[in-house]
Amino acid sequence: MPGASEVTVRLTVNGTAAAATVPARTLLVHFLRDELRLTGTHVGCDTTQCGACTVALDGVAVKSCTVLAAQASGHEITTIEGLAEGSPGEGRLHPIQQAFRDEHGLQCGYCTPGMVMAIRQILADHPDPSEDDIRHALNGNICRCTGYQNIVAAARKAAVAMRAAGQEG
Amino acid sequence: MFPADFAYARAGSLDDVFALLEQARVEDEEAKLIAGGQSLLPLMKLRLAAPQVLIDIADIADLKGIASNHESTTIGAATTYRSLGQHENLAARYPAMADALAVLADQQVRARGTVGGAVAHGDPAADLPAVLLALDATVEITARDGARAVALDDFLLGIYETDLAEDEIVTAITIKDQAAPGALGSAYEKFAHPASHLPIAGVCAVVSVENGIIASAQVAVTGISPRPYRAGDTERILHSEPPRSSLIEQAASQVATGITPLSDHHASGPYRLHLAEVLTRRALNRAIARATANTRSL
Repeated sequence: MPGASEVTVRLTVNGTAAAATVPARTLLVHFLRDELRLTGTHVGCDTTQCGACTVALDGVAVKSCTVLAAQASGHEITTIEGLAEGSPGEGRLHPIQQAFRDEHGLQCGYCTPGMVMAIRQILADHPDPSEDDIRHALNGNICRCTGYQNIVAAARKAAVAMRAAGQEG
Repeated sequence: MFPADFAYARAGSLDDVFALLEQARVEDEEAKLIAGGQSLLPLMKLRLAAPQVLIDIADIADLKGIASNHESTTIGAATTYRSLGQHENLAARYPAMADALAVLADQQVRARGTVGGAVAHGDPAADLPAVLLALDATVEITARDGARAVALDDFLLGIYETDLAEDEIVTAITIKDQAAPGALGSAYEKFAHPASHLPIAGVCAVVSVENGIIASAQVAVTGISPRPYRAGDTERILHSEPPRSSLIEQAASQVATGITPLSDHHASGPYRLHLAEVLTRRALNRAIARATANTRSL
C-alpha cells in the first residue's frame, strides 16, 4: 500500500516542538486535544461550520476539525493556550482575551477560543475594521448564546488596543 | 466524526504523485489527492467518501502561485482562495473573482481551500467554478505520460463528476485575457445557504460594453443544476444590444432554459430557478455598471 496508516506527526505548537505517532485519519483538533492535552481548542459542530476548533496554522486561522494532523506535520500551530503571556492566572491576557473579558463577550464560553482565534486573523488582515467587516469576517464562527453583540464589541475594543500597542497578532 | 481509515503519503513532487497513483492502481486501492481538503475531508467524515490512500499535494511548490503574461493568467492548482484574494491585479481586472472570494465559505476555509480543488471536486454548488466558467477558463491536467488542457466547460460533467482520469492531476487553471472590444465589467451574485455558505444559486456575469452596446456577455450559473453551466440563451439575447433594463429582464428570464433544476430540502427546483433569474439580473446590472465606469475612466 502506498503511504502509511500510522503517521508520525511532528509540529511546533505554541513555540514548543511536539511529536506523536497517530492513525493517519487523526484530525488536527483531536491531535491537539487528545495527544497534547491542549483542550482549549473545542470541537463544536465537527462539520467545518461553527469555528470552535479554530487555530492558526503557519500563522493563518483554519478549522482544525478539517485538517488532518498528518497535513499539519512540519508546520507551526498556535492555539488559544499560546496567546496569553506568563502562567495561567498570573500572566497577561492577549488584548483580544482581555477585550472579551471587559465586554463580557461570552456566556457559556464554548465558542470563545475559536472566536478569539478568528478575530486574531480578522485584526491581522484588517487592523481597523468596521463593525460590518467584523460581522462579515466572523461568518465562520457560530455562537449559540450571546447573539454576537458583545463579541463584536470585544473585537472592536481589541482592534483599538492592538493598534495602540502596535501589535499585529 | 472520523474519516474511515486510510493510508497517507505526502508527495514532494509531481513525479511522487504519479508514482503513488501508479502504486495504488497496481494494488487496486482507491487513491485521492488532497490539497486543502476543505471539500474532501467533510465528505470523508460523513463517510460519503472513503479513499484507501490519500496523497497530500499541498507542499508541491510547482502547484502554487499565480503567473500572468500579456495574454493570460495561470493559477496553480494548490493556490488557496486566500492567496488568490490577495492577488490585487486579478481582483482589479476581474471584480467577479473578488465578489466570489468575499462570500465563499469563511476566512478559515478560504485559508485552506484551493482553486484546483474547487474545480476537481465537481461540486454542483461551488462558487468559483461559475466565475471561471464565465471567464472561459481552461483546466491544465498532467499525467505521467503527458499534459493536456481542457476547457472548464468540457471538464465539468455532473455531480462530483469531472473529466479527470485516475492517473491525472489538475495542475493549474488558465484564464485568457478577455479579447472582446470595449470596457470590461464582471460581477458574481449568490444566495447562500446560511450554515454551509454554499450557493443555493449563484450567477457570474462578464460583459464588455462598447459605444453603449453590449459587445460580449458571458453568464455562468452554479448551484441549481448537476454542474455549473453557461447560459447560452441569455448571452445571445444580450449580444449587440444596448443594456436597457427590459433587455436585462428578458435575458435573465432565459437563464435556465433547458435546465432541470436540482431540488432538495434546502430549496425546491422552482425556487432555485427563481433565484437564478433574480441573481442574473443583479449580476448583469452590476457588471454593466462596472464596465460603464471603466469606459469613463479610459
